[in-house]
Amino acid sequence: MSEERILGNKVKELYKTLCQDEWNAYTVGVIVAFLSVLIMAWMRPWGAMGAMRNWGDWFLYGIGCFEDAPKNIFNNSGSVIGIGFIAGAFLSATLGGQFALRIPPFLEMVKAVLAGCLMGVGAALAGGCNVGAFYNAIGNLSAHGFAMWLGLVIGIIGGLKCLYWEMEHVTCGGSGAKTIEFPGALQVLLGMAVLVGLIAGAYAYAGSDDDYLVKMSGILLISAGLGYSMQRGRWCMLQGFREPHMTGDGTIAKAVALSVVLVAVGIAVIKCSGLRQIEYYVRGTFGWGGVVGGILFGFGGMLAGGCGTGALWRAGEGQIKLWIAIPFFAISNSLMSAWFKQNDYEGIRAWLNKGITNEGSLGSFLYLPETFLGYGGTLVLIIGAMVMWYLVVVWNEESNKLVLKI
Amino acid sequence: MVDVTPDVTLDIKGLSCPMPMLKIKKQLKTMNSGQVLLALGTDPGTKNDIARNRKKQEYELLGIVHEGSLFKFYIKKS
Repeated sequence: MSEERILGNKVKELYKTLCQDEWNAYTVGVIVAFLSVLIMAWMRPWGAMGAMRNWGDWFLYGIGCFEDAPKNIFNNSGSVIGIGFIAGAFLSATLGGQFALRIPPFLEMVKAVLAGCLMGVGAALAGGCNVGAFYNAIGNLSAHGFAMWLGLVIGIIGGLKCLYWEMEHVTCGGSGAKTIEFPGALQVLLGMAVLVGLIAGAYAYAGSDDDYLVKMSGILLISAGLGYSMQRGRWCMLQGFREPHMTGDGTIAKAVALSVVLVAVGIAVIKCSGLRQIEYYVRGTFGWGGVVGGILFGFGGMLAGGCGTGALWRAGEGQIKLWIAIPFFAISNSLMSAWFKQNDYEGIRAWLNKGITNEGSLGSFLYLPETFLGYGGTLVLIIGAMVMWYLVVVWNEESNKLVLKI
Repeated sequence: MVDVTPDVTLDIKGLSCPMPMLKIKKQLKTMNSGQVLLALGTDPGTKNDIARNRKKQEYELLGIVHEGSLFKFYIKKS
């Protein structure tokens, strides 16, 4: 074989590895943690709820529910994160030849509506979706992440039981599924168009006179990286909670636990060194708000078949069920958040102005390093919690004690 | 190409995670050891779910045939 031919084959192999093969769950966990620390160092932590709320606000403003126009979708960091994330997932799906419009049976569409509403309300109560109020909450050293974690486990077990019940008792609404395919070459072309759009968008932001908009360049690209890698590894945090109870498999749970440890260490460095304010992703939902929010979100996520970010990347690969769930997530979240904000149920004003941590009615603000734990103790607590989760999951892989039988 | 005649065919087209895996698990429960299930699905995630869960040794994955966006999963109950 000629040297050029060998090189050509190696290029093809590399393309297949980067753009077509499914990435290992642990690799994706490390990449997601790296990008989560990177986006924090660049500007702020990331989550899916900010985008949902901005888009929901626009809808409610459009129909006359809200008086004031929300921030432009291209001028709001939460929304730009959502746009970048979906674009990255779309790029990954198209390069891998996995993009298709997958129209689900009617029953799944009904479940999507209910799921979207539950997830929107749950995220508002918990102070974020599974990323903002669990992954990046613990990563940002805030106790409310633990409250949502507890709620998510309860909600997901409840949701799984509900799906078992559905399989036994619901016989209607199972038809109407359809898949609209796109030729592979067209998919690659569409993916390339989105890639060019992402690069052009980043340059347009970078050339702005407004410092805030300049920051959006990195936000757009890092979010696209998150969407790309999560779609490529089909990395859904909800699976981390669900699989130990459904099939007993703990692969995603172990990958999420590893990722949380890495992001917590990275963000501890950023916050402790003073590079970013400690207030980022510290929410006053360490209490019933976080737990009940987690229950509703977890239950909704089970019906949707994806968590906050899982919904976004699945939308990026053309799953119509998630295209239905996302608007209902956005609108319910927008309404709930506006109501909470108007009455300051979270007690943000008292916390920011007077340092009072428990003025709100959803729970309290608890930045773990400000307790007796300090930064070292907080990291020991988080690493210890993830090690415990790991041990429970691997024990269950062998014993199947936590698996719910059909 | 998988050279085997399935005993049962399960239509899971249009369903997304976690429904395909749940329906497969439920179907396998009703089958006898050694019987082959052919599941027809469209969710790309199912491929990985089936491959990952076979470690539990409840079934053997005989093969996956990919036709456009349709996946044909040939699964033999252990």
